[in-house]
Amino acid sequence: MRKKDKNLWIYREAKQVTKKDKFIYSVLFVAGILSIIRFGEWWFRAEHVRSLFLYILLSMTIWYGIIRIVLIWVNYLKIKKPETKTPVKGLSVAIFTTSSPGEPLSMFEKTLAACAKIKYPHTTYLLDDTQDIRFKEVAEKNGAVWFELVGLPGAKAGKVNKALEMTKEDFILILDPDHIPFPDFLDKTLGYFEDEKIGFVQVSQAYYNQYRSFTAKGAAEQTYTFYGPTMMGLYGHESNVAIGANCVFRRKALESIGGHGIGLAEDLITAIRLHAAGWKSVFSPIIVSRGLVPEDFGSFCKQQLKWSRGLFEVLFAELPRLFKKLNFWQRISYLSISSYYIVGVTTFFYILLPFLFFWADILPTNMPFNEFIIYGAPIIIIAIIIYLFVQRWLCHPEKERGIHWRGMILKFASWPVFFLGALLGVVNAEIPYIPTAKKAVSGLSPYVRPLIFQVIIFILTLTYVFYNRIFLLPEWQLDLTSEQVWGMVGFSSLSIIMILGGIYAAFESRNLKPEEPWEKIKINEIGRKL
Amino acid sequence: MKRTIKRFLSTTSAIILGVIIILLLTFAGNKSNGPLEDLFIKISNQVINVENKIVMLKRRPVRKKALSWFDKYRENKSLFSHPDTIFTGIYDNHYKKSFDNIITLEKSLNLTVQFIHIYTAWGSNTEQRFPYRYAKAIYNLGSTPFITWEPWLNDFDRDEHPELPDKAKCNKNGLKAIANGTYDFYLEKWAEDVKRFGEIIFIRFAHEMNDPYRYPWGPQNNNPKDFIAAWRHVVDYFKKAKVDNVVWVWSPHPAYKNYNDFYPGNDYVDWIGVGCLNYGNVASWSRWWTFKDIFGNYYEMLSSFDKPIAITEFSSLSVGGNRSKWYEDALTDIPQKYLAVKAIMFFNDSQDNTTTYKSLNWSIIGDTLTVNAIKRSFDKW
Repeated sequence: MRKKDKNLWIYREAKQVTKKDKFIYSVLFVAGILSIIRFGEWWFRAEHVRSLFLYILLSMTIWYGIIRIVLIWVNYLKIKKPETKTPVKGLSVAIFTTSSPGEPLSMFEKTLAACAKIKYPHTTYLLDDTQDIRFKEVAEKNGAVWFELVGLPGAKAGKVNKALEMTKEDFILILDPDHIPFPDFLDKTLGYFEDEKIGFVQVSQAYYNQYRSFTAKGAAEQTYTFYGPTMMGLYGHESNVAIGANCVFRRKALESIGGHGIGLAEDLITAIRLHAAGWKSVFSPIIVSRGLVPEDFGSFCKQQLKWSRGLFEVLFAELPRLFKKLNFWQRISYLSISSYYIVGVTTFFYILLPFLFFWADILPTNMPFNEFIIYGAPIIIIAIIIYLFVQRWLCHPEKERGIHWRGMILKFASWPVFFLGALLGVVNAEIPYIPTAKKAVSGLSPYVRPLIFQVIIFILTLTYVFYNRIFLLPEWQLDLTSEQVWGMVGFSSLSIIMILGGIYAAFESRNLKPEEPWEKIKINEIGRKL
Repeated sequence: MKRTIKRFLSTTSAIILGVIIILLLTFAGNKSNGPLEDLFIKISNQVINVENKIVMLKRRPVRKKALSWFDKYRENKSLFSHPDTIFTGIYDNHYKKSFDNIITLEKSLNLTVQFIHIYTAWGSNTEQRFPYRYAKAIYNLGSTPFITWEPWLNDFDRDEHPELPDKAKCNKNGLKAIANGTYDFYLEKWAEDVKRFGEIIFIRFAHEMNDPYRYPWGPQNNNPKDFIAAWRHVVDYFKKAKVDNVVWVWSPHPAYKNYNDFYPGNDYVDWIGVGCLNYGNVASWSRWWTFKDIFGNYYEMLSSFDKPIAITEFSSLSVGGNRSKWYEDALTDIPQKYLAVKAIMFFNDSQDNTTTYKSLNWSIIGDTLTVNAIKRSFDKW
């Protein structure tokens, strides 16, 4: 790979969507759907039921996963990239970035310096509640306006709403403080507002600290597809989401919904409300800033807990209220986004299944293992092909392509967190707002405990299985139970491998030296074209 | 509080809807078969074999040891043609789940049987292929598989084999179709699997072919000549495929006395099988029959073929007579009067729904009187 291909600080954009691409994708789509129909035709048979209760539970688990796959495939059908538009001169633009107690000052020096370098005329505002005078100094040094906004409810969104009252600009870029914008950020985004209907323009989120750890790499991998093909599909279905960072809003749009939404998923809430109020939006798959991804396992889990709780809030509180005002695809998209973290519950069941068999000799179904694989394999194969195929629309394919195994491991190993988020969501319990850590937090995260517990149980169970089969099991029971037992051992080993990956990430995080990755960035070299 | 309830209710109703959809789909589905099947069956059989080898390295195979005297028979087909002893066997209706009942029965009888009898039907499903796993498990325990192979013709997937006659009509002259090669695709797989299994097995094909009231392959649907042709076709097919580890058991219903019409010939038959079930007075058509009534009266005709005879189902119900005496009489007579009988298979089916409306319990597990009577009789052999 050429060095230029790897450079993170160059402007990047996803490839155009051609007719040929669309055709190839449609073929894959049809094949995928057929493989699912074939699987479904096999799955739902009365003769497969052994324990009806567990069969239903397993069916819901499997089909929850399959329905999500279908939704994402449908999403890709409408993949779309907006044409670039140069903005007219003279628009009035504000950049809002927020600072909170505990956030490192040196990071703001970089971010604010980069904001000052943005070419399109604008005013940068630092919305500050650190009560630390040095933040004011840094803001003023970089030509930014400093607002002291202390004690407002609703964390970041509260400050944004207050600042909206205090300013007049027609367009507001909300930038997370860890995101370092490229000079042409506004030139690449403002043009879309030429259409009066456009309420916000979202661009990709990209990161620059992946190199720091397994967790950081995994967390970044989880986002690559999302900020490329997935969001492009959502855009095609007119059901974009705002991500909080890197989003430019039209003031009129925000005001029409009473300001920026507040809550743990404030960005998604805002996007849904804007669409419900009839605004349109743009997602542009371009990289015009780079920020930070959680570096240690604990911070990653905290971020996920926050998101999962927030998304359930959207599912239970926001969506039902606005459901009637959304169009069909917006409903589907927002439902599927906000129910994403149910995966914590289904993963829990996947993990429990083999143990139920080993401990209590309970099996949900009479399905022969081989048939399950025969019917399931085509779905998996097509899913992988589609996953690799849509990677042509990643924003930075040279860097981002791959099977993203670290991301998968991290997702699987976060199941206790998702599970907790789901429980909190259903019983409507609160969790406090936790800002995602900007620097690595050392020490072993408590979120790894359920994973270690799971591995211990697995080892004990496996020891028992070996002991039992070698010494205890009567010889006449050996052959007839062999396939089931070793099939189950194989099945549970798969999840244990993933869990071990998560534990590795947590232990690696323990020794991670807190570092300030932004120190290495040379502001003057950012954002040149290829 | 109200919001929490609402939230809880919406979650619950979503779950209930999901359940309903899954139930609907499940109980409306149908069957079909997959292509990679062979490969996965092979892999799973391999797992079983490897595990068995590893585990048995460290152990003394108790049952196999007890049957070591039988090894010379099961390794040499010719010793089965005129055996110098009477073999025993068991069928148990739980065999697919486990052999526990078989072992329990053996222990109570103080006996280790040489045959384990299983039934399998023709058809497209995985379990209608050659039961390799059970055959192997039986072999690994020191016994020989005795397989009753029932040509049900309506269980083949018509999507996969559109050339087959309609399900409603396939039984009429079904044996003729077998003889004409219509079902060779099925024979091919079976023969291949039997060959791969490699050890000697007994196959009792299309039993009670002369009873017009029982199975679709009976004379109500078929000409006896077609039975003979079908039988010869199957045996020839195996021979042509170089499958030589099969002992063929021809098994008429003795009461009809017309066996000669159905006899495929000395070259095509290795053993003769006879079912001997005493139904007592459970049904209007039955009464307490002795072993002599069921078997002895026909022995002369059956032995005229000069082949070893297997009593393929040997059992008596307990209603209407003295069960333990029934067994004792039968087992006393066999070595004295019925010298051609070379195998007796206990029919330990605790839930037989095939003949009457209620389920019949043929099992003798737990019937101490009968078990002791059988033991007493064996001691005199």
